[in-house]
Amino acid sequence: MSKRLVVDRTLCDTQAMCVSIAPDHFAVDDDDETMQILIERPAAADLERVERAVRACPKGALSLVDD
Amino acid sequence: MTDFDQVNFLMGTPELIQDPTPYYEHLRTKCPVHQVEALGGVFAVTGHEELLTIMRDTVHYSSANCLAGMFPPLDAPADADDLGPYIEAARASVPPELAPIANLLVSLDPPVHTDQRHLLKRVLSPKRLAENEEYMGGLAHRLIDEFIERGSCDVMHDFAWPFTTLIIADLLGVPEEDRQLFREKANLGNTPLELLGQDGEFPLAFIEDYFTAYIEDRRANPRDDFLTILADARYADDSVPDPRTVATLASFMFAAAGDTTSGLICAATRVLCEEPGLQDRLRADPDRIADFIEETLRLEGTTKSTFRMARRHAEVDGTDIPIGSSVMLLLNAANRDPRRFENPNVFDLDRPNSREHVAFGRGPHACAGAPLARTEARVAFRTFLERMSDIRLSDEHHGPAGDRRFEYEYSSVLRKLLHVHITFGAR
Repeated sequence: MSKRLVVDRTLCDTQAMCVSIAPDHFAVDDDDETMQILIERPAAADLERVERAVRACPKGALSLVDD
Repeated sequence: MTDFDQVNFLMGTPELIQDPTPYYEHLRTKCPVHQVEALGGVFAVTGHEELLTIMRDTVHYSSANCLAGMFPPLDAPADADDLGPYIEAARASVPPELAPIANLLVSLDPPVHTDQRHLLKRVLSPKRLAENEEYMGGLAHRLIDEFIERGSCDVMHDFAWPFTTLIIADLLGVPEEDRQLFREKANLGNTPLELLGQDGEFPLAFIEDYFTAYIEDRRANPRDDFLTILADARYADDSVPDPRTVATLASFMFAAAGDTTSGLICAATRVLCEEPGLQDRLRADPDRIADFIEETLRLEGTTKSTFRMARRHAEVDGTDIPIGSSVMLLLNAANRDPRRFENPNVFDLDRPNSREHVAFGRGPHACAGAPLARTEARVAFRTFLERMSDIRLSDEHHGPAGDRRFEYEYSSVLRKLLHVHITFGAR
């Protein structure tokens, strides 16, 4: 079991706080202007930083689920 | 000595308008969620963690009463366990002249709120904001050109207000020839009464009519302009919104973005003048301007309170919040929660977690314009520091250092300086 990043698309409005904290895990696609999760299952070493990125989302659109 | 238990924070007192911090600290000694008798049993929230919990939760809390806790009485049975349907019924049955207030974006609940926020995405997309940022830089210089020779100005009147208003006009694609009209007409308030206007004339009506006409025109006659992109905006299910719905959102942006962002620029100007060494530090390292803005947002956010209504029985941090209760979220108090921020009342450019502030709210209603506001403030101060040296508060207007006078808007919703008079040299 590991942690998987999930985004609620009805909430995400590409404010990109996640991108500024973890640009290796999140990016905004220029063409369709949506946020892309680059690494769905963060490595253990990256988890603390990714959790900060998840908490930084002002809309609360991101979560890390156990599965 | 003020008895803070008796103070009606919503009516305000001159002292608390000048500085509400003592009231926040008094409430904090009670509980992060504390029922205030003097406010008719409203639950005041000063805790950062507790505020986050409530703002993220649209299952238990409605935003219907978000503006100063005002909402028409509900016609709900005593044993109702969810007030949602009764809130929506009340929205639908307000008199026509109050309908715009009962349906402001900030006060909507899901699913209508979610649908309308979706329409804003193309207005505030990273790409659109980048286009708008180009306009911002030029505008900042042009506004400063108008007063640089004087060696003095009122930051609100001479810069912040026209800056924020014209930027929204540009963002929404208002044609150049109409911009001056917006500068004159978009002088909007922030409370339900102000939005209603004098003599029942709704100030936002002009902007709504204007955008409705443009959207109808662009749907019939598309052009290569942003108004056409706005006219094409669709709901998430690809259905087409009524032109007036889109126009209402556009007009709402003027209301939402004017006071708040101009308030931020003025608050930050005050900080810039009062924090020893800050100007030199930022001139030497302009990349730190972003951190300066974040700490200002934390300490002096413009929206100091917002409300929620418990639509179901709720509980936060061991405090029961009965169904129908009004909850007053004190954003600026949460931003000084010592459990989250060490030495919370101190401005610290190097504070590692300043971005954990809640000045823009959190959850589904988190300010959609936050990236815009941050960029505006960053461009404003980058340009100020480039063009002006030795920026100081005017002793003539604000009194001598150590005994300063400032005029804040008399409001329980906004912490907004009405004027910030500065002197400076030209660089």
